[in-house]
Amino acid sequence: MAERISIERLVKTYPGGALALREVSLEVPAGTFLVLLGPSGSGKTTLLRCLAGIERVTSGRIAIGSATVADGRAHVPPERRGLAMVFQDYALWPHLTARDNVAFALRRRKLGRTESLSHADEMLTRVGLGALTGRYPNELSGGEQQRVALARALVAGTGLLLCDEPLSNLDADLRERMRVEISSLARDAGATTVYITHDQSEAFALADRVGVLDKGVLVQEGTPEDVYNRPATPFVARFTGLSGELPVRVRSGSRGGRVEVEPAVPGAGRPFYVRDSGDAGLPGASGSGRALGDGAVDGNGVVMVRPTGVRLCSGDGEEHHLAGTVTDVAFRGRGYEHAIDVPGHGLLTGVFAATRATRGERVGLRFDAEGCHLFAARDSVAPVPVLSEAVAPAG
Amino acid sequence: MTAAGTPVLPAALVPDDPGTRRGARRWRTLGAGQGAGSLPGLAFWILLVLFILGPSLCFLLLAISPRLFDEGRAWFTLTYLRQSFTGLTALALTNSLWVSAAAAVMGILIGVPIAWLTARTMLPARRFVAGSMWLLLLLPSWLPAIGWQRLVQQGGPMYRLGLGLPFVTHAIMGPFGVVLLLGLRCVPFTFLAVTAALSGLGQEFEDAARVHGGGRLAAARVVLPIIAPAIWSALAIGFAETVSDFGVAATLAYSSNFPLATYQVFQDIGNFPPSFPGAAAMGWMLVAAVAIPLALQARALRGRSYQVLSARTRQITRRPLSRVGTVAAVGGVGLFYLVALGVPGFGAVSGSLLGDYGGSFSITFANYDALFRQSGLLGPVERSLFYGIVAATVTATGGFIAARMLTRRGGRAARLLDFLLLASVALPSVVFGAGYIFAYNLPIMSSLGINLYQTVALLVIAYIAASLPTNARVLVGVVSQIQPSLKDAARAHGARAFGAWVRGVLPAVSRPIVMAWLLTFCAVFLELPLSQLLYAPNQPPLSVAIEDNLSNYHFGVGMAQSVLAVAIALGVVAITLGAYRILAPAGWRRIGGANRG
Repeated sequence: MAERISIERLVKTYPGGALALREVSLEVPAGTFLVLLGPSGSGKTTLLRCLAGIERVTSGRIAIGSATVADGRAHVPPERRGLAMVFQDYALWPHLTARDNVAFALRRRKLGRTESLSHADEMLTRVGLGALTGRYPNELSGGEQQRVALARALVAGTGLLLCDEPLSNLDADLRERMRVEISSLARDAGATTVYITHDQSEAFALADRVGVLDKGVLVQEGTPEDVYNRPATPFVARFTGLSGELPVRVRSGSRGGRVEVEPAVPGAGRPFYVRDSGDAGLPGASGSGRALGDGAVDGNGVVMVRPTGVRLCSGDGEEHHLAGTVTDVAFRGRGYEHAIDVPGHGLLTGVFAATRATRGERVGLRFDAEGCHLFAARDSVAPVPVLSEAVAPAG
Repeated sequence: MTAAGTPVLPAALVPDDPGTRRGARRWRTLGAGQGAGSLPGLAFWILLVLFILGPSLCFLLLAISPRLFDEGRAWFTLTYLRQSFTGLTALALTNSLWVSAAAAVMGILIGVPIAWLTARTMLPARRFVAGSMWLLLLLPSWLPAIGWQRLVQQGGPMYRLGLGLPFVTHAIMGPFGVVLLLGLRCVPFTFLAVTAALSGLGQEFEDAARVHGGGRLAAARVVLPIIAPAIWSALAIGFAETVSDFGVAATLAYSSNFPLATYQVFQDIGNFPPSFPGAAAMGWMLVAAVAIPLALQARALRGRSYQVLSARTRQITRRPLSRVGTVAAVGGVGLFYLVALGVPGFGAVSGSLLGDYGGSFSITFANYDALFRQSGLLGPVERSLFYGIVAATVTATGGFIAARMLTRRGGRAARLLDFLLLASVALPSVVFGAGYIFAYNLPIMSSLGINLYQTVALLVIAYIAASLPTNARVLVGVVSQIQPSLKDAARAHGARAFGAWVRGVLPAVSRPIVMAWLLTFCAVFLELPLSQLLYAPNQPPLSVAIEDNLSNYHFGVGMAQSVLAVAIALGVVAITLGAYRILAPAGWRRIGGANRG
């Protein structure tokens, strides 16, 4: 039976003082597939290991179902938390066969040896390894080892399944196939799943809900669509996929969640509309955030441009908001992705067009408000170096 | 056409001339190409046969073909091998086998927990624990044996302190004491093997067992078999070390009338008339005994993989021990060092401070005074110091050359050399020494102009020959890691061949060579079996002099010599490591050092 997870103000400090988690609070409804997304060092692995009971929490509380399994004083050991886990390197015991590896996880069900092995064989068959049950891990390929690890985690039918970047060691093709298998097997099992990854596309593809961690803080939690369409911070926007960051001047207050901006370099382009993240504290904005400048509308900001928020157009007509020079083109099957150097504004990458523009060609950029998010300028990273001086424009 | 007018053909089209090219290729493969040039390569193989393989092989052949060496009438006989299964030799062999098995198991039972505590927990002073294991490894087995023996003997410090405990004396001066001392000797091997295995065993294997329902015990049960190769290695090394040990056999076991096989070989040679074929047959048994644990190890590990290291293996985390756990762990480890080092150390030091014939526990420095005043007592110390320095220097150099030859790939010579050196490592010293006595006493040696029998030169050669295989094996690890590009880069940037080696290769191998030098020095300085068998008349090395003093009831002087010997060995280790630290460039010391990043 799927378990609900409740995490309250969780803090984890490692010996030596490194603060890995800072007051993380999170509710995961039973049966949810939650993906924790974050870069290395963001605390996602620590959070998972605290959930598993491998790490002791410093303070705060974790409850699985109705039982508190960890707080500042109590610590229920991993074997009594009724969960299963897929490890990053699979952690298959090399001296046991695939069948014995899987059967080990049935010990908590106190089955006889024969029955355990029979269940293990069944689960291995379900993951497509029915013919390889007697093999040792070193006799299996990476994908097969991954399946054994998955079978071991699923065989006991625990209410909580934890996955520690299980696809990170696989090649791209196998990764995609295993992603589909994990998604369907975990949902078939009906378990609550907590899955960690640093790959945003993997996270969005798998998750019912996504939590984004940065430096031990849970900065946003929501559905994949929420996180992608309404990133709470510049970090979330950057980590979940950007074409680039555009310095702008704000021309209007927030109206219906939209703001009119113009390129930061005077005369470089035309005004256009973007989404107000609420971070900039503009008049009319629903969110409360930092002001661009004493609440004035005439301030600097930065627009986080999603690949879906910009497209190529002619650089000569009235259609474009900004113009730039093509510095790189990559064929992506369904079309072409371009890198565009916009003088004074930096580099935009992954700008899609159905047809190829040539390197050095002057092109126009048109922005779509749905894929452009305005944040306060001081949160921006240093501007991308301007390449126009290094790459001579054609003509 | 070449300048000489010979047509140039592609190599593949030139026919193989059996007398020239093929012969030359074979020559390159077997000798010159594998060595440091043709003549040095040939010289290396001649020395290898003459001083390492030849004597032992002759000696072992003697057991089945005595007539070959004019020691009997039969060209082929199994009589001597059969004889080793009868009477005293059978008893000695049986004793050696069960004592070695028990000692190896004891080494595992003590060594695995200590290794686990050191590698996986926040055990206080764990660095000291690891460092002291090296001290145990460097000390020859006879030193703790005589320390214990002297302590518990009638009239020894234990009795003079008023602790008249005859049952302790009986226990130590018998099979229990022999197993105890040999078992303690096995602990460092287990510790080093298991610590290395645990350091490569990521935490995730234990975590996986815990999250899938296994408690601490179940996790230990599933994780311990993963380090089975290390445990089996430790068992095999422990068994091989103890079955071929001469130090305890010649001291505690001999004094306790508990015959062991190695001492039996010594006695067969030392008796009048000597029975070389009988000793050789016992040598066969010892060599065969070494193969037993290796075969068991191969059988136990067959068909399985224990590969646990990967680029993503999670680092281990040390667990804090509870207060009770800390007290128990520190107490247990402390007890081990007390028994392994403290008690024999106390026995040796206190024994050296007692007058030889005194009836009370009155401390005197008379024995140390005698060492420096009486003629002939300090000579063995100086002699062994000289032997140790010479043997260590030659062996470290030769070991490096042999290691280079071993790491050159593809040659049959390299594979053959590898096998021969491994076989030599497994050969008990007493068999090795007996082979020297036998081979260099053969009339053919005199007729060849090789008159080394009963000379200092032969003893030093034996020290070198016995240490070289181990040294070569130790250095293979680091030499195999040296990429040719290190030297090539120096050459490409203008260095000459020697300069390129000094700048490109020496820094990488300097620390292992220094460690190999120290290992050999300590082993030779305190070596017993070869010294007993091969020392030149009237020129006893240190270990023989100590043994002579103890067997002639000069306990105090013998113990003072032992204490001085250990102090000198530790002093040389400290001076050498200190000198390396001061003199070696900082960059040299960083190579192979721990990463603090």
